[in-house]
Amino acid sequence: MGVSGFAYISPSTKEETLTVLSEAGEKGRIVAGSTNVLPDIRARKIAGCILVDISHLRELKGIEIAGDTVTIGSLTTISELLQSAVIAKEAGVLWQACRCFADPLVRNRATIGGNIANASPAADGVVPLLALEATVNVESKARGKRAIPLDEFFTGPGKSVLEPGELITSVSFAKTSAMKSAFIKFGLRKAMAISLASIGMVVGFNGDTIARVSIALGALAPTPVRARETEKYLAGKKIDDEIIARASELIKTEVNPISDVRASRDYRQHLTGVLFRRAIEAALA
Amino acid sequence: MEIMREITVTVNVNGIPVRAAVSPQESLLDFLRYRAGATDVKCGCNKGDCGTCTVILEDRAVKSCLVLAAQADNRRVWTVRGLEKDPLMQALQESFATHGAVQCGFCTPGMLLTAKNFLEHNPKPDRAEIKEAIAGNLCRCTGYKKIVDAIAAVAASRTGDRA
Amino acid sequence: MELNVIGKGLPKVDAWAKVKGKTVYADDFSLPGMLYAKVLRSKYPAARILSIDTSRAKQLPGVHAVLTAKDVPNNNLRAKFGQSTDVGAQFEGLYRVLAEEKVRFLGEPVALVAAESLQIAEEALDLIEVTYEPLPGVFDPVEALKPGAYPVGENESNVVSRFKIRKGDIDAGFAAADVIVENTYHVPFVDHAYLEPESGVAWLDEDGVINIRVSTQVIEHFRTVAEVLGLPQNRVRVIGTWLGGGFGGKEDITVESFLALLVWKTGRPVKLTYTREESLLAHSKRHPFLMKYKTGATKDGRIIALEAELIADAGAYTYLTPWVLLYATVNAAGPYDIPNVKVDSVAVLTNNPFTSANRGFGAIQPNVAYESQVDELARVLGMDPLTIRQKNCLRQGASLATGFTFDRYVALPEVAEKAWQALGPAKESQDKRIRIGRGLAIGMMSYGRLTFLHDSSRSYVKLELDGSAVIRCGVPDLGGGQAQALCQIVAEELGIPIEKIKIYISDTALTPLAGTTTATRQLYMSGNATLKAAREIKERLLTKASTMLNVRKAYLKIENEKIVSLVEPGNFVSLKDVIAQCSSEGIELFCEAQFNAPFTDIPASELITGQTHPDFTFGAYAVEVAVDLETGVVEVQKVVACYDVGKALNVLNVEGQLEGGAIYCLGYALMEELVVDQGRLKTPSFSEYLIPTAADVPDVETILVESGSGLGPYGAKGVGEPACNSIAPAILNAIRDAVGVRITSLPATPEKIVFAMQKKQ
Repeated sequence: MGVSGFAYISPSTKEETLTVLSEAGEKGRIVAGSTNVLPDIRARKIAGCILVDISHLRELKGIEIAGDTVTIGSLTTISELLQSAVIAKEAGVLWQACRCFADPLVRNRATIGGNIANASPAADGVVPLLALEATVNVESKARGKRAIPLDEFFTGPGKSVLEPGELITSVSFAKTSAMKSAFIKFGLRKAMAISLASIGMVVGFNGDTIARVSIALGALAPTPVRARETEKYLAGKKIDDEIIARASELIKTEVNPISDVRASRDYRQHLTGVLFRRAIEAALA
Repeated sequence: MEIMREITVTVNVNGIPVRAAVSPQESLLDFLRYRAGATDVKCGCNKGDCGTCTVILEDRAVKSCLVLAAQADNRRVWTVRGLEKDPLMQALQESFATHGAVQCGFCTPGMLLTAKNFLEHNPKPDRAEIKEAIAGNLCRCTGYKKIVDAIAAVAASRTGDRA
Repeated sequence: MELNVIGKGLPKVDAWAKVKGKTVYADDFSLPGMLYAKVLRSKYPAARILSIDTSRAKQLPGVHAVLTAKDVPNNNLRAKFGQSTDVGAQFEGLYRVLAEEKVRFLGEPVALVAAESLQIAEEALDLIEVTYEPLPGVFDPVEALKPGAYPVGENESNVVSRFKIRKGDIDAGFAAADVIVENTYHVPFVDHAYLEPESGVAWLDEDGVINIRVSTQVIEHFRTVAEVLGLPQNRVRVIGTWLGGGFGGKEDITVESFLALLVWKTGRPVKLTYTREESLLAHSKRHPFLMKYKTGATKDGRIIALEAELIADAGAYTYLTPWVLLYATVNAAGPYDIPNVKVDSVAVLTNNPFTSANRGFGAIQPNVAYESQVDELARVLGMDPLTIRQKNCLRQGASLATGFTFDRYVALPEVAEKAWQALGPAKESQDKRIRIGRGLAIGMMSYGRLTFLHDSSRSYVKLELDGSAVIRCGVPDLGGGQAQALCQIVAEELGIPIEKIKIYISDTALTPLAGTTTATRQLYMSGNATLKAAREIKERLLTKASTMLNVRKAYLKIENEKIVSLVEPGNFVSLKDVIAQCSSEGIELFCEAQFNAPFTDIPASELITGQTHPDFTFGAYAVEVAVDLETGVVEVQKVVACYDVGKALNVLNVEGQLEGGAIYCLGYALMEELVVDQGRLKTPSFSEYLIPTAADVPDVETILVESGSGLGPYGAKGVGEPACNSIAPAILNAIRDAVGVRITSLPATPEKIVFAMQKKQ
């Protein structure tokens, strides 16, 4: 309360939503699980906008598999992901991340699409998706459908390439059941903690050498980032202690964390190496 | 479909439909406290950080300060006061009182609702699972031990195990 | 003495309403025609107010009042915080309702608004135009002490108070010491973080009395509110609600004066509830302390010299700072018998948030330091943590460095040993990245107020004709079982079931004043007052029954609603019949009793001496931690609290105090800190100010020693605040044991631990 100038609309289909968003332009603010929007309104971070409530759009919910591709509707909640056998099997890194997402009550509301749209560098739903090399599927009246690699989605803290009028409809990625996964979150508390640093990792082995690895890092740069140099270094290597040690030094050079009230830049950098070692060991285990 | 500055919603609160015109940004928490008289739902932080405003929305425990009132239109909301006759809630209430799980009581309604919703989905939890389940509900008085005791005792009695 | 109700872990009388969601907390209450209030707060930690223009705010439709300092009849009071007798200038301070001329901290109240809705009140705040001239301010207490420092208040000096202790010859003591340990410790600002933010509703009744229904630990603030408004004290009534937690944070005035002013100006009922952010920003905090310690011991482990210098950050206003500093000073050398002691303490104003009472009240901070010091001495000497403590701790008949003599049982050796042994056999970690460590710490804290404050409490007990009973006692209940204890006492003494007792609490108009629910005093004070009243009635009942049964009074007992002959159990009379008989004969079945604590004279100078406190509670914490060598994360795996509680009136409640106290200060040890940078709060909400969740804490094991040596009813001691002592240093000592680094500043974050380990290598 206390901030006037809000309007509300609740379109009944995706098509209607796109029309509304197109007309609302910059003033449109999509509301799904509403776990971010209400605190933002109270903190006066947003004002004078049209709240476009999509929470009831069934067509944006659910998890589908088509061939090798898993598609998650943007309104799927974190709790629903946790209860999905498909996610547990085909996207272990995401499932593990959902276990440490906020707290059980927030997980009942927060949606995967909202977590992406919010564009927090620390987003616990995004880091695993980045490791899954996911694609964000968006739609708008103006530009039609766009499939944006998650890697190219974020431009800064709270900022993304999503344009006014665009709606995230789903996120998709290839199954990883044949690969190993690990997600580790480091927060200052066991629940209800914003990540100080997080890592998501998906590794494919060819015998005992790494065929393919993707590593995503959270809260260590202005956006969630891939550790490309470290990935390159590891590709084709046979894992041993020395390789891990070298990679854990290398990965520290790929991050650019901030110092804030939660931790210093130095400590976050230190954690990067530690989390990397633990993630790769967990993936190997 | 229209853009509204005020939305007339009907929320079923504890079995009774409550109809009111709300502003777009009004939270379910404010709706419950100010319009439905459900002052058993507490406001501890209004930011999703404490869990005192927990309610059951349809079949899920949620933080009502993080839900728009408009989103609860035509949906069912349960608070502690509406579950007086619910056997699981009664068992939890009795258990909280007899285990000393209530000190100031401000977290208690939210804690009870989270516990009820949790036990419905997970009837046989261990202590660690209980602690994880209530980790979104802060308590400053008890140190949590007696709350976990109270929930574990109910789980044990329902599954026939000894507490 | 055989006891039927006392000692039992009965559910609290207030628990049933609480589990059913029926308790009406402060913000749950509303009245027809009620207005909503908001407080405009300073945007600067130090500034001159050049002008305040409220005209636009006043014109906003729906706004009923906009008040600033000039609207307050008495805006500046010379407050004698918490005093019922005048104990001198050192303990006075300014209580300023709204900022005038000079702003002292960010968040200081500047103006008040009352409007038809919360939304309009918030809009009105935006329309108040305040022009500030920012001033440099001073934020570091050490800087604030220097000559020429920025003056926080109206005086030149920023010093609030100073105390000292002198015993023996400190130089000779250190000269004779074989080992000396020196460290500087720092503890931060922390918040009480009760889940119910400050709140109240006030209204003017038909007789012109201002009624304030508020979440408070101190209903006696009605006197201050009357002074602010220039009204007679009998025109202000405070009704205390069941609190959603207090921990000392609702000891000072919060919303009361604001509500009263707005009600007085508008004639309408008014509600004011702080937001969480407002609560974190603008209510009292626990004092940060900088503590320099030097402790010396002989080779055989005898501590022979302790020198301490304590600097406390009082923040922007005095409040309870002098008392907190006095407690800290008395506790500075710990519960040890040390021949040579020198302590100097000072509290100083800064442009930081103001500090005041917080569970532990000055005893907690030095406890962190002295117990770390003892641990370090033990390491240098190659002694184990239990032995060094048992060798040096106080025993009955011994004295503190202030001269305070312990004439009652001192359980320290016993509680230390029991806690330490309860940890069981040590285990090595299976994970090479994890080190296990153990720590022990002991402590003491007083219960009951300082003896020179002449404390008293009153309670009223009455039997109804049907054999039910009523208690009226002005005790605020914070959730710690304050009301429950009184019910159990009356049930025990009058032989009636607890269900037949109704207690009315916390109302200055209708319940006898029982004093504050602070200083761990209610069981001791109001418990004794209630016991006195109940025993007086019991005496009358027994006298009457003696005639009715023709049995000598000494051979009668009262139980299960009967008065029974001890000699012939078949010879009895029902309580109801005795009541009826008393009633028909005009024998009073009610009693209002007053309990006066023993008192002493006011200390004559800064030098603290004598029996300053009524008694102390002794306890020990033993903990086991697992420290992650790479991340620095501390997992507290075991916590054992062993306390001499005197007598546990309600086992569940006593355990609850210890379990809750342990976790309250586990947070202090490991995660809690209000980060204040140049007077600005960097941890503005519960997203940044973290307190432990259920997933972060171990199950606290409690061991109750019942020596019966307390001053409370049935030999009980107070435990509420003492419960917080010692866990923080026990955790620090365990970390030291696990990974070899001594963390000297709280909280012991993973980052501090990792970098300390790296530095050591």
